[in-house]
Amino acid sequence: MLAPLHRWIWRDAERRVHKLIRFGETETDGGRDILRAAEVTPDPLLRRLYLVHAIDELRHGMLFRQRAASLLPALPSSSKPRFRHDWLAPGGHGLDDLEVDGGSDNSMLAFLHLSEKAAASRFTVYRDVLKHDPPTCAVFDEILHDETFHMNYTLVQLARVSPEHHKRYLWRARLSRLWKAYLRIATALAGVIGGLLLTIQYFVLLPPFAWLAKRAAHREPQGWAAIPRERGESLTRQY
Amino acid sequence: MNILGISAHYHDSAAALLVDGVPVCAVQEERLSRRKNDAAFPLGAIEWCLDRAGLEPDALDAVVFYERPMLKFDRILTCALRAFPRSWRSFPNAMKSSLGEKVWVRGIISSHLGVPARKILFTRHHESHAAAAFLTAPTRRAAILTTDGVGEWATLTVGHGERRADGTCAITLLREIRYPHSLGMLYSTFTAYLGFSVNEDEYKVMGLAGYGRPTMVDKVRQLIRPTADGAFALDLEHFEFHTTAARSYSSRFVDLFGPPRNPYEPIDLETPEGQRYADCAASVQRVLEDTLVAIARSLHTETGLTDLCLGGGVALNGVANARILAESGFNRVFVPPAPGDAGCALGAALFADRLHFGNPDRDVPDHPFWGPEVDGVELARVASEDGQRVERFDEDGVLIESLADDLASGRVVGWMDGALELGPRALGHRSILASAESSAMRDRLNRDIKFRDEFRPFAPVVPTEAADRYFELPPGGTRLARFMSGVFKVRPEWRDRLGAITHVDGTTRLQALDRDMSPRLYRLLEAYGSRTGVPVLLNTSFNLSGEPMVNRAVEGYSTFLRCGIDVLVAGQTRVLKRTPLPPSPVGFGEPGLEHQS
Repeated sequence: MLAPLHRWIWRDAERRVHKLIRFGETETDGGRDILRAAEVTPDPLLRRLYLVHAIDELRHGMLFRQRAASLLPALPSSSKPRFRHDWLAPGGHGLDDLEVDGGSDNSMLAFLHLSEKAAASRFTVYRDVLKHDPPTCAVFDEILHDETFHMNYTLVQLARVSPEHHKRYLWRARLSRLWKAYLRIATALAGVIGGLLLTIQYFVLLPPFAWLAKRAAHREPQGWAAIPRERGESLTRQY
Repeated sequence: MNILGISAHYHDSAAALLVDGVPVCAVQEERLSRRKNDAAFPLGAIEWCLDRAGLEPDALDAVVFYERPMLKFDRILTCALRAFPRSWRSFPNAMKSSLGEKVWVRGIISSHLGVPARKILFTRHHESHAAAAFLTAPTRRAAILTTDGVGEWATLTVGHGERRADGTCAITLLREIRYPHSLGMLYSTFTAYLGFSVNEDEYKVMGLAGYGRPTMVDKVRQLIRPTADGAFALDLEHFEFHTTAARSYSSRFVDLFGPPRNPYEPIDLETPEGQRYADCAASVQRVLEDTLVAIARSLHTETGLTDLCLGGGVALNGVANARILAESGFNRVFVPPAPGDAGCALGAALFADRLHFGNPDRDVPDHPFWGPEVDGVELARVASEDGQRVERFDEDGVLIESLADDLASGRVVGWMDGALELGPRALGHRSILASAESSAMRDRLNRDIKFRDEFRPFAPVVPTEAADRYFELPPGGTRLARFMSGVFKVRPEWRDRLGAITHVDGTTRLQALDRDMSPRLYRLLEAYGSRTGVPVLLNTSFNLSGEPMVNRAVEGYSTFLRCGIDVLVAGQTRVLKRTPLPPSPVGFGEPGLEHQS
């Protein structure tokens, strides 16, 4: 249904590079989380599977970065992407952080299964709208092949480690994803409102103080500033 | 008296615990959370420290934070005001970041640990650096020079420290250079300009500098001018770090030095553009060194002291440290193993103990091994479960001899021994070791194991007694090399034999190892030397690119499986790689390993 929107997003080369770089970061972060899961699980089979999964994710990160790098020279120099915050981007940071150390393998597998499923569905759409860019399309193709394996093994292993309750874990993971999505949106909204309020304060309240601060800065001598002997005496002060 | 030191919220958070004036443990949060340069409040590190000492939080007499949060906030707000209206974009983010968490440190500590607010103390950032440098150094009196990006307001301080005969200590910081005039920020600006990560990749600029010529020194000197009183001032028209968070350098900077490097494209030193980047790195490195040497020389003249303690992140610049030792007039230069912010956790705790509470001075063990111990049994268990070839040795000598054979035959060894290092250097407890003899080994490590840029050099480790034979060490050089803090020349006649660790400019950042500091590694060097005639091994940190140094045996094991390390050792356990990844019932193929960034 959203294919026309995705087609429009991916048609622009600059947006494409941004998205690929962001995907690269997300996959790499995710890979590190899964690597951590491999290091903390007591289950030898899961350790091996997580490790393969982590290696795949790290490789995907590299594929995305490499593709973005190959597209970069074609962009005008003024539009080269810089590192940007994106509250709505799912990934290994922010509110989507995975608590690997404290969690169980059941929760981990359920979370991974749903994440991989969602990623596979998104990547399928992206691949389909990128027919005009065969190299990028090929990157998604390669990654989708791995995602199928990830989706399957996580489900099979969840059924193995929790034969009676694996469906319950999947539902819990779904609810957790919904909750995290809500938190992400709420935080993004709060961030926008907070930013707006602070920007208004900046222009309304700050000008006189800015004038004073600039005047003081002009009087400030350059070079060494002597440190008064009594300065360091109290450690209870925060200023 | 139990004192916990904490550094957090900027980069590389850490915790350190002092019991009756002596450090008992310290660890960086990244080593436990596995997030490189983790700046989060170091709850994991604090819990580990308390657990290690068998203490509950209510047994703490003081918790010391390494800087004064409100003073830092004062600087951030003042700079936003001074940059009005250019700072309008960065202002909301700066306020949200500061007011959201960073200024409420007392409450955060109190709520996490349940300690009353009166027990929570704050040192100044550069006092923490100074204490970490002076109070851990084996010297009675020394001049102190601390320099980094910025603390609260100070970016560079000079002073002196003294251990008095009555057991008390004094640290007197005489004067400071204040933000935005900062050597650390100057270097970080070039780090960003050269396409590397600020606060993380500054050492890459130093490595790249070896490939360049300082042809742009005059241009760099337009950015940093000496002041009449012997300090320096940045020409702020060339910078934006003090006005926005988006970019460190201004358009005028780009006009002067040319277009910045695209971080996603590799540096090709064969091209004029690649050479320009290297020349740029060499030029800023030269100016940094000259500036530091001039300040250190003046401090030497002023104090008349023979020892200098260096602290702050800039003290990780081994080339500059070596020049300070050679040219400033000081006989000995002490740099702690963690001169950056992580070491401030220890510095803050020591500062409070010796200067605030006035406790008598105690000798601080002269080593960096304050972290968790590695467990060889854990390695044996996980590797056996995966069907790897595992050997347990009852006699350490047999293990050491077999490892010497491995290294002499060109195998790469992942080495985990005892307690984890504090600080960014692998100093012999979490290292990747290899033969230092050929440049092919350097290329193999960069390509198959560390997955990093070709121009990055590797460091050697050598017994202190043998160091002078292979390296040109000035008087005091072995001390600076104790924690890999100085870059020195490899003797010309050994450069071919030590091709893996000799940088393109004939230098290396060596570690001179005392037997007492790491006896097993020392014995390994001896055994290796008896086979090859050269007791020098390549020693690089046990991690892959973008990851923190390994801590537990299982982390070493997962790293071992993902790269070209041939042999893994933890305690008395040795693992030989049977397959890059162990076979599994689901039948996945062998993955490629060239994917690491």
